[in-house]
Amino acid sequence: MLLTQGLIKIMSKLLEVKNLYLSIESENENKILKDINFSINSSEILSLIGESGSGKSLTALSIIRLLEKNCRIKKGKIIFNDTDLLSLEEQNMRLIRKNDISMIFQEPMRSLNPVMSIYDQLLEAYEKESRKKIKRKIIENLISVGIDDASRVIDLFPHQLSGGMKQRVMIAMAIACKPKLLIADEPTTSLDVTIQKQVLDLLLELRNDLNMSILFITHDLAVASQISDNIVVMKEGMVVENSESKKFFENPKSLYSKTLLASSSYNRKNNLTNSLKNNSVLKVNNLKVYFKEKKSFIAQNQDYKKAVDDISISIDAGATHAIVGESGSGKTTIAKAIMGLTEVTDGDIRILDKDILKMEGKEKLNFRKNYQMIFQDPFSSLNPRMRVGSIIKEGLSFLKPYMNTVETNECLKNVIENVGLEESSLYKYPHQFSGGQRQRIAIARVLVLDPRLLICDEPTSSLDVTVQKQVLDLLTEIQTKNQISYLFISHDINLVASISDTLSVMHQGKIVESGKTSDIINNTSNDYTKKLLSSVPQIL
Amino acid sequence: MFVFLLTDIFFYIIIFSIGLYIFYVRKTKDILETWKHVFRSRTGIISIVVLSFFLLIAILDSIHIKEKIYNEQTESFSYESEIKSVLDIILLPTYKNYEKSYSSPFSSNLYSKETIILENNIERRVYPKLLYKGNHNKYASDNTANILLTFIISLLKYFFVFSIFYLFFYFRIIFKSKNNIFIPFKLNKVFLMTLSIIVILSIFLYELSLQYYVLGTDKVGVDVLYKSIKSIRTGILIGTLTTIVMLPFAIFLGIFAGYIGGFVDDVIQYIYTTLNSIPSVLLIASAILMLQVYMANNPLNFENIYERADLRLFFLCMILGLTSWTGLCRLLRGESMKLREVEYVQASKTFGLNRFSIIVRHIMPNIMHIVIITIVLDFSALVLAEAVLSYVNIGVDPTTYSWGNMINAARLEMSKEPIVWWSLFSAFTFMFILVLFANLFSDVVRDAFDPRSNKNYE
Repeated sequence: MLLTQGLIKIMSKLLEVKNLYLSIESENENKILKDINFSINSSEILSLIGESGSGKSLTALSIIRLLEKNCRIKKGKIIFNDTDLLSLEEQNMRLIRKNDISMIFQEPMRSLNPVMSIYDQLLEAYEKESRKKIKRKIIENLISVGIDDASRVIDLFPHQLSGGMKQRVMIAMAIACKPKLLIADEPTTSLDVTIQKQVLDLLLELRNDLNMSILFITHDLAVASQISDNIVVMKEGMVVENSESKKFFENPKSLYSKTLLASSSYNRKNNLTNSLKNNSVLKVNNLKVYFKEKKSFIAQNQDYKKAVDDISISIDAGATHAIVGESGSGKTTIAKAIMGLTEVTDGDIRILDKDILKMEGKEKLNFRKNYQMIFQDPFSSLNPRMRVGSIIKEGLSFLKPYMNTVETNECLKNVIENVGLEESSLYKYPHQFSGGQRQRIAIARVLVLDPRLLICDEPTSSLDVTVQKQVLDLLTEIQTKNQISYLFISHDINLVASISDTLSVMHQGKIVESGKTSDIINNTSNDYTKKLLSSVPQIL
Repeated sequence: MFVFLLTDIFFYIIIFSIGLYIFYVRKTKDILETWKHVFRSRTGIISIVVLSFFLLIAILDSIHIKEKIYNEQTESFSYESEIKSVLDIILLPTYKNYEKSYSSPFSSNLYSKETIILENNIERRVYPKLLYKGNHNKYASDNTANILLTFIISLLKYFFVFSIFYLFFYFRIIFKSKNNIFIPFKLNKVFLMTLSIIVILSIFLYELSLQYYVLGTDKVGVDVLYKSIKSIRTGILIGTLTTIVMLPFAIFLGIFAGYIGGFVDDVIQYIYTTLNSIPSVLLIASAILMLQVYMANNPLNFENIYERADLRLFFLCMILGLTSWTGLCRLLRGESMKLREVEYVQASKTFGLNRFSIIVRHIMPNIMHIVIITIVLDFSALVLAEAVLSYVNIGVDPTTYSWGNMINAARLEMSKEPIVWWSLFSAFTFMFILVLFANLFSDVVRDAFDPRSNKNYE
């Protein structure tokens, strides 16, 4: 009995990566994959988990041998169906890519050729046959990935499809040859949660139908727990843990896995619901932001895109209000409207009981220091040509021009220490810092103005989970210290649930539900909120 | 007495601004790092050394003087009407005397036969001997041996000069108490090698041209080598001065169009689309013709022929600059539009910065890499443009030494029998070297400054 089981296991081993070493030859760095070992059995899903820069994608690319030129595989074997892929001739490798291993990428926008129709794109994946036969096959294939009106879709171009549809087309392309192994490199990262759920379900379904194995690369533990049989955790080019999914989430072995698991569910340390009340910092009444849609010159009736449609929000001092919604729901537009970065069509915005839309010139400039914003991407929110010191000083010099040099320098020193960076950082350039540190600098830049209201537009969504936790900790710490109100914008309802006091759920420019966070999360009556909550992957 | 021609002044301004830029780069760390990337590549060093050598010649050729002469009849000092440059004084032996007409490189006779009347009144058709060079071998009667010996002697001279410099470095280092006599050699092998080759070649060519017409003579017997060297200034001037003219248009209009957008954008786009749809050759031709009419009508405005030629050169740069800013402007417009939406610009808007501050603090520094890449890329194109324009007679003044003029003259020379090839050959060679190294340099600069290049591979 045991012997036969063992035999089956050996027989069914589809891919085996053995002692893989890889180095990148560049001038500055020499990042390396060190001693990577794992294997995938047939019709098994293995998740490769790690933060950015941990070498997940490099591992995947070395399997399918699509590495950049300056990457060298130093040692090791990649055995697929008893052949060592690394020793294959390029033309044989091409056959393997065509018939046995497929790959889907993170960004469906960039993976499809914008000037080719879906039919033409899919045509590339098929053997030459009669046109009718291929067309029938393509339609069948598209239906199998859940595109019901496939006969219409095949004539469309990529820009006419939504993100989820595009990813489905990519998957259809990848499974066209009925591969034995599918490599999925963060296939759901750029998608909304509801679509993410559909794609994950689809992958599971396809695994059962086609009996194929999936190498699933992700940074999201919850997603991995939903889908995978086995889990490999990578850190700095090394495998730190390799175990069965169930075992991993019940009882992670390595310290790093434990921190990863701990970071992925965030809980605010303190709760502010009992603090100062009835002291409104931000009051938004019936806010409307419409964008003119550019049509032709001749069009008589102007069409409007209602980005934000009749919205009211109120935040008390020292409290956190969160806006949650999928991309395109208009949450960032609210932030921009408050900050004066976009024109407001109608409604009023009152901060500290003053109508900021009616303010002009000097008065507005003086008032601006009371409300500030933290942007999503710390890599593009800091000017690469300016030193950190001058970046932080910029707001001061325009909004608090009465400060003299000594005071300013004192201020800079304090604030940089408050966000947990060293004083010497002031003289460095942004590129010398990591993502988390950059977000700290962005926080320091607004904190130095001592604002009453801080708008955080997805401040952690571009950061790794462990770093996310640190930044959130910093934000809550600042809140308790300075009694700042936060307007927290996010797509992640899990995160929002733990960090906010009150919550608004947005959908297509409207608030569909608003109220105390705990009420909404625990017993919502709204359909959309229910759908949103059920789509969020939970660690099983 | 120093004479400042119009182009000289602008050329000094260019040199001065290059100096300012170097000063600025030395203080700005990240740009310094990018430039270090240029200096770290072998191609970069070689092309910088070669280009600096060309630039040095152009600078020497831009310092103009009039010599004082003593007039014996009036017993007073007066200034010569002829204007010379420092380069002319250095190259005096090569152009002081000139022959009657064409002679081929290294030859000792004229290129065509002439009738000579011998003592006994017999007429004979011979190739007359050259008067000043070609028959004055210094080291050996045989030409090949003589050239070889000249080369050896210039090598010796080079090592003499080199050892003096070496000693200079050596003592400086001793004073700084670093007792390593090999430090000068460790500086940079590629740099030293390139410099040495250039210096050896220059000494060798100088020595040779004391005895031969290395690249022959032209129709009126002037040394072609001298003409080619004098043309360097014209080429470089057109390459750089045009850039200076076009930069303000391109940068300011580009940023305004891209950043402010709306109506301003429409107007600026309209201007450059209009300008682009006029054939630039026609525009240049009409401008030059207008200038010629002006100069013909007001001959008294110009003291001498040099000023006239210089004004024409200056005007050519102007008109070339006015027609060539559109490309860069379009690039900068696009980039500014992109930067307008970038989060750090948005962030500074939330600080209440006005448009001007945002442009100066955030937009300008982040488009400079495009400006630098374009300047360097355009340089070689402009040098070539000069040649093309002079070829169709709308370029520089015919009295100005330029490669374009030489090529233009070669039109007739090529149809001669036997063919006179050296004028074209030397113009071509010099232009080729300058443009080649400018292109190599621009490649390296683009690699270093382009954010998409592999340098920042992660």
